[in-house]
Amino acid sequence: MANESQKVLRHAGVDRLFHWITAVTMALLLATSLLPLLGVRFAWYAVHWVAGLVLTVIILLHMVRALFWQKPGSMLLISAADFSPHRAGKYTLPQKLMHLAWALAVLVAIVTGLLLLRKAGVPFLERDPYARTLAAWGVITLLHDLAALLSVFLVLVHVYFGILPEKRAYLRAMVTGFITRAELKPEHDLEKVERGD
Amino acid sequence: MNLLRFGHDAYGAQVVNGASWDLLPVAFWAGVAVIVGHLIYRALRRGAADKDRG
Repeated sequence: MANESQKVLRHAGVDRLFHWITAVTMALLLATSLLPLLGVRFAWYAVHWVAGLVLTVIILLHMVRALFWQKPGSMLLISAADFSPHRAGKYTLPQKLMHLAWALAVLVAIVTGLLLLRKAGVPFLERDPYARTLAAWGVITLLHDLAALLSVFLVLVHVYFGILPEKRAYLRAMVTGFITRAELKPEHDLEKVERGD
Repeated sequence: MNLLRFGHDAYGAQVVNGASWDLLPVAFWAGVAVIVGHLIYRALRRGAADKDRG
Protein backbone atom coordinates (compact mmCIF):
# COMPACT_ATOMS: atom_id res chain seq x y z
CA MET A 1 0.00 0.00 0.00
CA ALA A 2 1.55 3.26 -1.10
CA ASN A 3 1.97 6.07 1.42
CA GLU A 4 -0.57 8.90 1.00
CA SER A 5 2.18 11.50 1.28
CA GLN A 6 4.19 9.80 -1.45
CA LYS A 7 4.99 12.23 -4.25
CA VAL A 8 4.00 11.41 -7.80
CA LEU A 9 5.69 13.01 -10.81
CA ARG A 10 2.86 14.83 -12.62
CA HIS A 11 4.78 16.96 -15.13
CA ALA A 12 8.29 16.24 -16.42
CA GLY A 13 10.71 19.17 -16.61
CA VAL A 14 10.35 19.54 -20.38
CA ASP A 15 6.55 19.76 -20.07
CA ARG A 16 6.78 22.40 -17.35
CA LEU A 17 9.22 24.36 -19.49
CA PHE A 18 6.78 24.08 -22.40
CA HIS A 19 3.88 25.29 -20.24
CA TRP A 20 5.68 28.35 -18.90
CA ILE A 21 7.18 29.36 -22.27
CA THR A 22 3.66 29.10 -23.70
CA ALA A 23 2.34 31.26 -20.85
CA VAL A 24 5.00 33.96 -21.39
CA THR A 25 4.52 34.01 -25.19
CA MET A 26 0.72 34.15 -24.82
CA ALA A 27 1.07 37.06 -22.36
CA LEU A 28 3.36 38.86 -24.84
CA LEU A 29 1.03 38.14 -27.77
CA LEU A 30 -2.05 39.39 -25.92
CA ALA A 31 -0.23 42.45 -24.54
CA THR A 32 1.22 43.45 -27.91
CA SER A 33 -2.11 43.02 -29.69
CA LEU A 34 -4.55 44.40 -27.12
CA LEU A 35 -2.64 47.22 -25.36
CA PRO A 36 -2.54 49.36 -28.56
CA LEU A 37 -6.35 48.97 -28.72
CA LEU A 38 -6.54 50.34 -25.19
CA GLY A 39 -4.53 53.42 -26.21
CA VAL A 40 -1.02 52.27 -25.19
CA ARG A 41 1.15 53.18 -28.18
CA PHE A 42 4.40 51.32 -28.85
CA ALA A 43 6.17 49.38 -31.61
CA TRP A 44 4.26 46.16 -30.99
CA TYR A 45 4.61 44.29 -34.27
CA ALA A 46 8.19 42.95 -33.96
CA VAL A 47 7.56 41.56 -30.47
CA HIS A 48 4.24 40.09 -31.67
CA TRP A 49 5.55 38.13 -34.64
CA VAL A 50 8.67 36.90 -32.80
CA ALA A 51 6.53 35.70 -29.85
CA GLY A 52 4.14 34.11 -32.36
CA LEU A 53 6.94 32.15 -34.01
CA VAL A 54 8.29 31.02 -30.62
CA LEU A 55 4.77 29.84 -29.72
CA THR A 56 4.50 28.00 -33.06
CA VAL A 57 7.77 26.12 -32.48
CA ILE A 58 6.85 25.29 -28.87
CA ILE A 59 3.39 24.00 -29.85
CA LEU A 60 4.89 21.84 -32.62
CA LEU A 61 7.40 20.35 -30.15
CA HIS A 62 4.58 19.77 -27.64
CA MET A 63 2.48 17.96 -30.27
CA VAL A 64 5.40 15.72 -31.31
CA ARG A 65 6.19 14.92 -27.67
CA ALA A 66 2.52 14.27 -26.81
CA LEU A 67 2.05 11.99 -29.82
CA PHE A 68 5.24 9.92 -29.56
CA TRP A 69 6.41 10.10 -25.93
CA GLN A 70 3.18 10.51 -23.96
CA LYS A 71 -0.37 9.13 -23.96
CA PRO A 72 -2.34 11.85 -25.79
CA GLY A 73 -5.60 10.07 -24.95
CA SER A 74 -5.13 10.87 -21.24
CA MET A 75 -5.67 14.56 -22.11
CA LEU A 76 -7.73 14.46 -25.30
CA LEU A 77 -10.24 11.61 -24.89
CA ILE A 78 -13.39 12.17 -22.86
CA SER A 79 -15.06 8.99 -21.53
CA ALA A 80 -17.97 8.11 -19.24
CA ALA A 81 -15.50 7.71 -16.34
CA ASP A 82 -14.75 11.45 -16.59
CA PHE A 83 -18.28 12.17 -15.35
CA SER A 84 -17.92 9.95 -12.24
CA PRO A 85 -16.39 11.41 -9.06
CA HIS A 86 -12.97 10.07 -7.99
CA ARG A 87 -12.54 8.20 -11.29
CA ALA A 88 -10.59 10.64 -13.43
CA GLY A 89 -7.27 9.47 -14.81
CA LYS A 90 -4.31 11.85 -14.97
CA TYR A 91 -6.59 14.74 -15.97
CA THR A 92 -10.11 15.61 -14.77
CA LEU A 93 -12.92 16.56 -17.15
CA PRO A 94 -12.56 20.34 -16.52
CA GLN A 95 -8.79 20.04 -17.15
CA LYS A 96 -9.44 18.22 -20.44
CA LEU A 97 -12.01 20.83 -21.50
CA MET A 98 -9.62 23.65 -20.62
CA HIS A 99 -6.88 22.01 -22.71
CA LEU A 100 -9.32 21.54 -25.61
CA ALA A 101 -10.35 25.21 -25.49
CA TRP A 102 -6.71 26.34 -25.36
CA ALA A 103 -5.85 24.00 -28.25
CA LEU A 104 -8.63 25.57 -30.34
CA ALA A 105 -7.61 29.15 -29.53
CA VAL A 106 -3.87 28.59 -29.98
CA LEU A 107 -4.07 26.51 -33.17
CA VAL A 108 -6.44 28.99 -34.85
CA ALA A 109 -4.20 31.88 -33.74
CA ILE A 110 -1.07 30.14 -35.06
CA VAL A 111 -2.48 29.12 -38.46
CA THR A 112 -4.08 32.52 -39.12
CA GLY A 113 -1.05 34.33 -37.68
CA LEU A 114 1.30 32.49 -40.04
CA LEU A 115 -0.95 33.41 -42.98
CA LEU A 116 -1.05 37.06 -41.86
CA LEU A 117 2.79 37.24 -41.88
CA ARG A 118 2.46 37.39 -45.68
CA LYS A 119 0.18 40.43 -45.46
CA ALA A 120 2.28 42.37 -42.95
CA GLY A 121 5.76 41.13 -43.89
CA VAL A 122 8.67 39.94 -41.76
CA PRO A 123 12.44 40.01 -42.46
CA PHE A 124 12.39 36.53 -44.06
CA LEU A 125 9.09 36.90 -45.96
CA GLU A 126 8.39 39.84 -48.25
CA ARG A 127 5.18 41.75 -47.57
CA ASP A 128 2.50 41.05 -50.15
CA PRO A 129 -0.95 42.34 -49.18
CA TYR A 130 -2.18 41.43 -52.68
CA ALA A 131 -1.49 37.71 -52.21
CA ARG A 132 -5.16 37.31 -51.24
CA THR A 133 -8.35 39.28 -51.73
CA LEU A 134 -9.43 41.79 -49.10
CA ALA A 135 -12.35 39.52 -48.24
CA ALA A 136 -9.99 36.57 -47.66
CA TRP A 137 -7.67 38.67 -45.46
CA GLY A 138 -10.80 39.83 -43.61
CA VAL A 139 -11.87 36.27 -42.80
CA ILE A 140 -8.33 35.29 -41.72
CA THR A 141 -8.11 38.40 -39.50
CA LEU A 142 -11.57 37.70 -38.09
CA LEU A 143 -10.50 34.18 -37.02
CA HIS A 144 -7.24 35.59 -35.56
CA ASP A 145 -9.24 38.18 -33.60
CA LEU A 146 -11.71 35.57 -32.32
CA ALA A 147 -8.79 33.40 -31.14
CA ALA A 148 -7.43 36.42 -29.26
CA LEU A 149 -10.81 37.14 -27.66
CA LEU A 150 -11.19 33.47 -26.63
CA SER A 151 -7.67 33.65 -25.16
CA VAL A 152 -8.60 36.67 -23.02
CA PHE A 153 -11.51 34.66 -21.59
CA LEU A 154 -9.36 31.55 -21.08
CA VAL A 155 -6.50 33.42 -19.37
CA LEU A 156 -8.91 34.74 -16.73
CA VAL A 157 -10.54 31.34 -16.10
CA HIS A 158 -7.25 29.39 -16.24
CA VAL A 159 -5.45 31.70 -13.80
CA TYR A 160 -8.46 31.72 -11.45
CA PHE A 161 -8.59 27.91 -11.23
CA GLY A 162 -4.80 27.79 -10.93
CA ILE A 163 -4.75 29.96 -7.81
CA LEU A 164 -7.85 28.56 -6.05
CA PRO A 165 -6.64 27.11 -2.70
CA GLU A 166 -8.18 23.65 -3.35
CA LYS A 167 -6.58 23.47 -6.80
CA ARG A 168 -3.20 24.87 -5.84
CA ALA A 169 -1.55 21.43 -5.74
CA TYR A 170 -1.93 21.35 -9.54
CA LEU A 171 -0.19 24.74 -9.81
CA ARG A 172 2.61 23.52 -7.52
CA ALA A 173 2.95 20.43 -9.73
CA MET A 174 3.37 22.73 -12.73
CA VAL A 175 6.25 24.45 -10.87
CA THR A 176 7.99 21.57 -9.06
CA GLY A 177 6.67 18.65 -11.13
CA PHE A 178 5.29 16.75 -8.13
CA ILE A 179 1.94 16.18 -6.43
CA THR A 180 1.14 13.83 -3.53
CA ARG A 181 -1.16 10.81 -3.73
CA ALA A 182 -3.34 12.41 -1.01
CA GLU A 183 -3.80 15.50 -3.20
CA LEU A 184 -4.77 13.37 -6.20
CA LYS A 185 -7.13 11.04 -4.33
CA PRO A 186 -10.27 13.28 -4.12
CA GLU A 187 -10.67 13.46 -7.89
CA HIS A 188 -8.41 10.85 -9.47
CA ASP A 189 -8.27 7.08 -9.73
CA LEU A 190 -4.70 6.48 -8.54
CA GLU A 191 -4.35 3.23 -10.50
CA LYS A 192 -5.19 5.08 -13.71
CA VAL A 193 -2.76 7.86 -12.79
CA GLU A 194 -0.01 5.29 -12.23
CA ARG A 195 -0.71 3.77 -15.66
CA GLY A 196 -0.54 7.27 -17.15
CA ASP A 197 -4.16 7.07 -18.45
CA MET B 1 -22.46 46.97 -30.13
CA ASN B 2 -20.89 45.74 -33.37
CA LEU B 3 -19.76 42.15 -33.90
CA LEU B 4 -17.53 42.84 -36.92
CA ARG B 5 -15.23 45.54 -38.32
CA PHE B 6 -15.93 46.47 -41.91
CA GLY B 7 -13.99 48.20 -44.69
CA HIS B 8 -14.43 48.68 -48.43
CA ASP B 9 -12.62 47.15 -51.38
CA ALA B 10 -11.41 49.05 -54.47
CA TYR B 11 -14.91 48.78 -55.98
CA GLY B 12 -16.60 50.20 -52.93
CA ALA B 13 -18.06 46.89 -51.81
CA GLN B 14 -18.21 46.30 -48.07
CA VAL B 15 -15.78 43.64 -46.78
CA VAL B 16 -15.17 42.21 -43.31
CA ASN B 17 -11.93 43.47 -41.75
CA GLY B 18 -12.08 41.43 -38.53
CA ALA B 19 -13.93 41.14 -35.23
CA SER B 20 -15.24 44.31 -33.62
CA TRP B 21 -13.17 45.41 -30.63
CA ASP B 22 -16.48 46.02 -28.86
CA LEU B 23 -16.16 42.29 -28.12
CA LEU B 24 -13.01 42.75 -26.01
CA PRO B 25 -14.92 43.84 -22.87
CA VAL B 26 -17.42 41.03 -23.59
CA ALA B 27 -14.61 38.43 -23.49
CA PHE B 28 -13.23 39.99 -20.31
CA TRP B 29 -16.57 40.17 -18.49
CA ALA B 30 -17.51 36.66 -19.64
CA GLY B 31 -14.37 35.43 -17.87
CA VAL B 32 -15.26 37.45 -14.77
CA ALA B 33 -18.81 36.01 -14.89
CA VAL B 34 -17.48 32.43 -14.90
CA ILE B 35 -15.23 33.25 -11.94
CA VAL B 36 -18.03 34.89 -9.93
CA GLY B 37 -20.42 32.05 -10.86
CA HIS B 38 -17.92 29.46 -9.65
CA LEU B 39 -17.25 31.37 -6.42
CA ILE B 40 -21.00 31.40 -5.69
CA TYR B 41 -21.33 27.68 -6.52
CA ARG B 42 -18.30 26.93 -4.33
CA ALA B 43 -19.71 28.91 -1.39
CA LEU B 44 -23.12 27.20 -1.69
CA ARG B 45 -21.53 23.75 -1.90
CA ARG B 46 -19.37 24.44 1.15
CA GLY B 47 -22.40 25.76 3.03
CA ALA B 48 -24.35 22.58 2.21
CA ALA B 49 -21.39 20.40 3.27
CA ASP B 50 -21.08 22.29 6.60
CA LYS B 51 -24.84 21.84 7.18
CA ASP B 52 -24.58 18.06 6.53
CA ARG B 53 -21.79 17.79 9.10
CA GLY B 54 -24.04 19.56 11.59
